[in-house]
Amino acid sequence: MSRAVLPRRTVLRGMIAAGVSVAVPLPRLQGMLNGNGTAYAGGALLPKRFGTWFFGNGILPPHWIPAATGVGSAWTLSPALQPLLEVKPWLQVVTGLAIKLPNISPHKAHPAAALTGFNSAADVQAPSIDQLMAPLVNAGATPPYPTGIHVGISNTSGAGALDLRISFRGPGASNPPEYDPANLFKTLLMYSGQSSGGATPAGPDPELARRKRVLDAVKDAAASLRARLGKDDQIRLDQHLTGVDQIETQIATLQAMKPVATNATLVDPSKAYPNMGAVGSITALRCKAMSDLIVFALATDLTRVFSYMFSCAACHGSYADAGLANATFHEDYGHRKLPAGEPGATEGFKTGVVYAMTNLNDTLVRMKNVPDGAGNLLDNSCVYVTSCTSESKSHSGLDYPILVAGKAGGTLKGDQHLRIVGDNVSKVPFTLLTAMGSKLTSFGNAEGMVTTGIPGLLA
Amino acid sequence: MVRRSSMRAVTIGTLAVSCLIAAACVGSIGSSSSGTQGPGGSGPNGTGPTASGPNGGGSSGAATNSAAPSGAGNGSPGVGMQPVAALHKLTIAEFTNSIHDLLGSNAPVPSQLEPDQQLDGFRSVSASVVSISPMGVANYEAAINAATQFAFSSAMQAATVLSCVPASTTDAACSLSQALSAFGRRALRRPMTPADVTRYASVAADIAQGPGGNILMGLQHAVAAILQSPDFLYRVELGAPSAQDAGRTKYNDFEMASRLASALWVSVPDDTVLNAAAAGALSTSTGVLAQAKTMLASPNAHRSFANFVSDLYGMDPSSGTTFMTTIKDPKFFPSWTMTLPLAMQQELFMRVDDVAFTGDYLSLYDSPTVFVNNELALLYGLPKAAVDGFRKVTFPQGSPRLGLLGSGAILASNGLPQRTSPTLRGRFVAEQLLCKTVPPPPPTVNTSVLDTLPPNATVKATLEQHRQNPACAVCHAMMDPVGLGLENFDSIGAYRTTDKGLPIDATGVLDGVSFKDEASLGTALRNHPNAAPCFVSKLYEQLQGRMTLDVDAPVLATLAAQFGASGHRADQLLLDIVSSDAYRFVEGATR
Repeated sequence: MSRAVLPRRTVLRGMIAAGVSVAVPLPRLQGMLNGNGTAYAGGALLPKRFGTWFFGNGILPPHWIPAATGVGSAWTLSPALQPLLEVKPWLQVVTGLAIKLPNISPHKAHPAAALTGFNSAADVQAPSIDQLMAPLVNAGATPPYPTGIHVGISNTSGAGALDLRISFRGPGASNPPEYDPANLFKTLLMYSGQSSGGATPAGPDPELARRKRVLDAVKDAAASLRARLGKDDQIRLDQHLTGVDQIETQIATLQAMKPVATNATLVDPSKAYPNMGAVGSITALRCKAMSDLIVFALATDLTRVFSYMFSCAACHGSYADAGLANATFHEDYGHRKLPAGEPGATEGFKTGVVYAMTNLNDTLVRMKNVPDGAGNLLDNSCVYVTSCTSESKSHSGLDYPILVAGKAGGTLKGDQHLRIVGDNVSKVPFTLLTAMGSKLTSFGNAEGMVTTGIPGLLA
Repeated sequence: MVRRSSMRAVTIGTLAVSCLIAAACVGSIGSSSSGTQGPGGSGPNGTGPTASGPNGGGSSGAATNSAAPSGAGNGSPGVGMQPVAALHKLTIAEFTNSIHDLLGSNAPVPSQLEPDQQLDGFRSVSASVVSISPMGVANYEAAINAATQFAFSSAMQAATVLSCVPASTTDAACSLSQALSAFGRRALRRPMTPADVTRYASVAADIAQGPGGNILMGLQHAVAAILQSPDFLYRVELGAPSAQDAGRTKYNDFEMASRLASALWVSVPDDTVLNAAAAGALSTSTGVLAQAKTMLASPNAHRSFANFVSDLYGMDPSSGTTFMTTIKDPKFFPSWTMTLPLAMQQELFMRVDDVAFTGDYLSLYDSPTVFVNNELALLYGLPKAAVDGFRKVTFPQGSPRLGLLGSGAILASNGLPQRTSPTLRGRFVAEQLLCKTVPPPPPTVNTSVLDTLPPNATVKATLEQHRQNPACAVCHAMMDPVGLGLENFDSIGAYRTTDKGLPIDATGVLDGVSFKDEASLGTALRNHPNAAPCFVSKLYEQLQGRMTLDVDAPVLATLAAQFGASGHRADQLLLDIVSSDAYRFVEGATR
């Protein structure tokens, strides 16, 4: 790979597993960086990335909490967390924290608290951590997907819980996940610079300019409409216009593309995982397919934010792929209702948690394996992992499952089990936000509000 | 909404439960929130209905870190001025129907669209308050581009969409303005303003005259711009003070055209409705009623009840479980295929369609009429047909499976993968058919009380704790007895007389009326005093796109009386609702 310094907005061409080439914006090439790989040649810092990785139905604390606390060799992974061995150096397990907001609605109040810090009463009231991170990680840049790429594996809801969402821009404004890897692949493939005939066009596709012309008219129409609306509807319309603006950014990116080399791979899921299972089903192959795509999007700076909903709050989906009965993980295992009886249900529940962690590991390992700057993508990211409850049977908010993966460009520690009994879960998102540059002086509201973080998480 | 709050603190195991537990589990018709189903959320503060959540749980006004919401969500509906939604996002059904009605029934509409959510069990209620995500906006753009590409793939195709097709940007016989105005009136549900015309005609001209452009391409993109504008993607219904109505805020004629088309056709209005609006015919109740009657005669009117029951009977994908992929353990239910739930859903739509436009709608609850193809016939114990296809069949007298609660769709969608759930089935009846509000389980409910039962207990025995333990009984009494009346049907709806080898006792009492099996339960349900008013209230809520409030009590009472007097004619109820003052005036609007 050439060590010559490249212009910052030069676009890269990469190889896809199927052999199709792709051109993407904003490279992470060695040639772009300063001498020790820690910043752009022009002096700007490398971007950090943030993601939320969510699994429903909680944990069994004795199975989850590692026996010893400390850093490095002082602690080892608990049975539930064993699958994360390869990424242990980047992993922080925080145990003992409690959700302080009242649990007025099981599987809804707790995840809303863990993700937003706010009480939820009827519905989520505040932006989730990934949306608060977005402006921080995007600062000074215009990635094509600034508010993130949001994916989901299971599309079976938890009926009356937090519904099929973990990312919220505000009240009534969620980012629903995409469940079909083929759709996400198609979206990312747009940046390939390939015409339908397979040949690379000489210049940008003229349709891009036409689409922009249409969107300009749409914005003009929206401005007229906006003047007639009340305040709350104006907010909703503004949210819509945010989407329009993002499309225009994407179009501009596509128009500016020029092919160069990259170190990221865009994997075509239909070729790499032909038998991954129906859209919305929980399978390891679907998880891998989604992880491949998310990691590609992060590595090529198409986005710096993601949310990965392995299963939603109180997900009623089946973990048959984990070898469990084709039943609802929530009822039959989480609440031990399996007709076969309690001990089997508990063992099955543990199996399910280990299965979720195995899939989390796949995502994190893929991040670790992508060179990024002087290190890898996981070095430069922060991934917040949580669930909709602690002990699933009792809907407990104590000893809440919280993991932090990634070193966030050297600001976060790794390889640590930190146990702080009784403290507020909100401190973790607050710490992460601060580490990523937030100037907020508090996080959360009511009993969920904190004004201090957990220094032990920081490097 | 009146709730008596219970101040009793209940202990379950070693866990104390606060008095956040409901409230009296009293059913109240038209009570505006059911915290147990769907997301049950309130929208941005101060807009739309504010759900008080299951127990009036204290949500203070939200302070967000992003665009600040206005006002204070006070979580108590029915007090004073009520905010009314003005911007109704099109549901996927409305969007799809509109695209087909505007661009042709063969126009492709990709399935990759922002999923609907439900609020208080209805997509339309959520649509009044939600914001579309950036990915959702991108998906709309892609969908509209695909559909318009199809519609303008040739001059002939374009002629099916536009009243006339300009041959060039300067065609005098058929100008850009003329062609786009006529189309725009239908898409935007109102005449285009001069600014609209300029805006979209200039898109057409710029693109037709731009690199690689031509007139068809110009028209295609102009139409795409119209369809991507918020004026199409949301129904804009603001209302204005009406001098002829003593200054009350009223929806204007075109807003009424939009509302009628949404209610009756789940789509955009056509030229007849828009012409009626232009003539001022939709400014009185009689005028609206006359127009609605005409619209009811259109085949598109069959969409109205299908759309309504998609939510009401839990068949829409946004309703909690994706019914089409409801999980059943193949070890226990080998006959649960990919096609059986589709057949069940199809059947339910057919049953509803069969009663919604003729006769007594509530006969749905104990009718011997079913619709089956061969796969469903097998489940229902009916004979196979030589040539497969849906046919109407009438069960003989004394059949144990009658009415809605005997339908595969209801029985299976409210069941678990390995066994029945009388609680889920009972909750469906309580909330969807009788408008009772069932509080959610207490947050610290300890379900291990159920662990000590022998594995071969019947489902009924397993649920004894729900009724013996006073902490559980107060709410479960609203659900379990009815659900247990359905135990003769397993979790995929197949009839059985034993459960784990033990005989099933499906007798019970529904609010003082005894029943001995599903069939008699259906009749008890049909005759229940809540049944008719609840149906009225649910349809009203769905059409208004907001939860019912105290101010709606008089109109709901009138509508219920009319519904009873007509012999429960659902189509007449639909007409009564859309021609009512409540549907034509904006009540207590605050912006």
